[in-house]
Amino acid sequence: MAAVSYRPYFSAGLKEWLFTTDHKKIGIMYGITSLIFFLIAGLSALAIRLELYQPGLQYMSEDAYNQALTVHGVLMQFWWAVAIWGSFGNYLLPLMIGARDVAFPRLNALSYWLFFAASVLALLTFLPGNHIRMMWTGYPPFSLNENAGPVAFYALIIHMLGASSLASAINLVVTNLTMRAPGITLRKMNLFLHAFLAMNVIQILGVPALAGAVTMLLMDKYFHTAFFDPTRGGDPLLYQNLFWFYSHPVVYVMILPAFGLISEMIATFSRREIFGRTSMIFAIWGIAILGFMVWIHHMFTSGVPDWIRILFSYTTVLIGVPTGIKIFNWVFTLYKGSVRFTTPMLYTLSAIFMFLIGGLTGIPLGLPAFDIAVHDSHFVVAHFHYVLGMALTLAVFGGFHYWYPKITGRMYSELWGKIGLVIIMIGSNLFYFLQFIVGLEGMPRRYADYPPIPEWVRLHELQTIGAFILAFGVFIALANLILSTKLGPKAEDNPWQSPSLEWLIPSPPPPHNFDKIPHMPEDWDPYNYEWLEKQHKKA
Amino acid sequence: MAHEGTHAAHHETSVWALPVGLSTFFLSLAAIAHFTWHLPFLAVLSGGVGLALLAIGIAGWANEYFSKGHDEGLGFQGIVWFVFAEVVIFGTIFAGFWMARVTHADVWVREWIPQGGMNLALVALLTLILWTSSFTIWKAEHSIEEGDLGGYRMWLLATMVLGTAFLVLHAWEWLHLWHKGFTISSNMYGTGFYMLTGVHASHVLVGVLMQLVLLINSGKALNKKTPARAASYYWHFVDLAWLLVAGTAYIVGSYGKF
Repeated sequence: MAAVSYRPYFSAGLKEWLFTTDHKKIGIMYGITSLIFFLIAGLSALAIRLELYQPGLQYMSEDAYNQALTVHGVLMQFWWAVAIWGSFGNYLLPLMIGARDVAFPRLNALSYWLFFAASVLALLTFLPGNHIRMMWTGYPPFSLNENAGPVAFYALIIHMLGASSLASAINLVVTNLTMRAPGITLRKMNLFLHAFLAMNVIQILGVPALAGAVTMLLMDKYFHTAFFDPTRGGDPLLYQNLFWFYSHPVVYVMILPAFGLISEMIATFSRREIFGRTSMIFAIWGIAILGFMVWIHHMFTSGVPDWIRILFSYTTVLIGVPTGIKIFNWVFTLYKGSVRFTTPMLYTLSAIFMFLIGGLTGIPLGLPAFDIAVHDSHFVVAHFHYVLGMALTLAVFGGFHYWYPKITGRMYSELWGKIGLVIIMIGSNLFYFLQFIVGLEGMPRRYADYPPIPEWVRLHELQTIGAFILAFGVFIALANLILSTKLGPKAEDNPWQSPSLEWLIPSPPPPHNFDKIPHMPEDWDPYNYEWLEKQHKKA
Repeated sequence: MAHEGTHAAHHETSVWALPVGLSTFFLSLAAIAHFTWHLPFLAVLSGGVGLALLAIGIAGWANEYFSKGHDEGLGFQGIVWFVFAEVVIFGTIFAGFWMARVTHADVWVREWIPQGGMNLALVALLTLILWTSSFTIWKAEHSIEEGDLGGYRMWLLATMVLGTAFLVLHAWEWLHLWHKGFTISSNMYGTGFYMLTGVHASHVLVGVLMQLVLLINSGKALNKKTPARAASYYWHFVDLAWLLVAGTAYIVGSYGKF
């Protein structure tokens, strides 16, 4: 793949950015929007932590607290944990399969603008009188109550995000299945691509369920339909079932791509093919399929019959098997590999560590006996902040560092990258580990206040301190990434020496990615590091 | 693969995704202005801007698609995946309908079914119309594959006429039932009935609009046959879905009191 000198893809005028159909520019636009909302959600988390620092209400009213929780939940789930994959998927998927763009470039631009429109609507809810206070779940009958905020905003935001996700998912699935360059077979696809394929299939089958649920909410609120009104034959549990039929699989929409990133980085920095690669692919699809069979475990206290609770408890625990396979395979990949502890590698190892803690606390949560005891407590909050909050964010930040030279053409500062990670790990573990303890002791979630039990007060104080340390670490990491776009030294085309296709073209990629569609040779493989060495010797 | 050969490096752009995206913002804003802000003027203004942007965007998009580049044939697969999503959307309303039908079977039969039951003769007529249109769109698709542009236009138009006839008859049926006191807010039968048939009718409407776009651009259809195949596939799905929708909304819904 000869290096031809190009103007990089990102040196374009405003018009080229606004009307672009280039997957790389759209990926960048997704990433920036996603990051802005990540920061807003993070600030609302700090506000929540400040309020919980001491018992009693110091800084906010209860309504403001409810709004802060809703903003934090909705933005972190949809704008960060889901939408950030719009960034990685768009940017990297065509590069990894040797395509010039996605299957439907205009539809891809539309996906972004739908997401953008939803973002503007979300910002409008900050206007006085429009605050949404129904939590990200929006359960009726509470959400149909005047005090919960405008349902129209909540439902239409979800509709637009859903349309955006659906268009993007269909686009990337068709791209992945039909536009792979010759020589990239399903067997030779990066694990990143397998993860994104599974994730997008989940989106196609899951998003409509949530769209249906919020449509019913909208109809009940403004057209007085009977969906959730028991006096006319409706059932509020219908909402919970439909909601979790999407919103449980969506945690795999969030975490499967993170697994894909972890697999790429672990392989590159161990210079070894992923251990048990076939079992990894089966594990991805196992998680994707089982993910649709566990949603009742969010509803163990909603009065479902015992036999259903037991059934869904089994399927929930079963998900631990493919997940465990993945963790073991990552660890075995390190064994006898030549491991390099670069910043992205440290992020990856931290992500696995945090996922392990979050995953192991998730298994007992799948058992009704334990779940009912800690239901709606801070224990649950700590559990999903370990898996989705931390494991996902650490993998994303690892990905930011890993593909930084590819995307920007420059290198970030290794030193500041590592400092940022260490601060993040100290802060997050101080924060979330103590949240487990206070949760086990009975602290309920979503409450603005708690009784002045001396131990609880101490635990909450330390958590808040941890949260601010975490925020400081995120600030350092992002400052390093942002400043390095100007101050960082020029990066090589392939600084990590990976044979994966995106690294075989210049950094940053030229506007059309590939001059000629590459024909990948028989002995090439995205994890065949000897092949890359042989190429170097030939050159 | 699809993109063989070399291109001159330039930035790929299209003006049309942005107006379509923004139109959804204005349409949502119109709904919010109407429902929660109670500002009718803003609602009408925003809705008008939204519809205009949507129409301009889709017209420009279709024109650009039919005039530039060559047919890569990927759109068909896109629609196939989209139909999977549609099945789940319909599934959510079916879930609500069936749950209420089973748990409230008693009061459902005693009180909820409108006087005189449902007009099953009309349902048979609607079914006949819709399924004939499945045949006509298949003929349209067949004509364009053969390169017969005149036949393509004629069969497409026939499908649109049938689709529109279905919508008009259906609307007449709704008005009739509504006046009998069977409304969307009466009970779960009313809710389930109007939501199932309403969501289905909205799909028929989208299908007819798809055919309208195809008809407007039929002059350039010989180079780009995939949209006709995709629209046809979508239409078959809408027609098949009708079997389940009508079976549930009319027959299962009013069983026990014809």
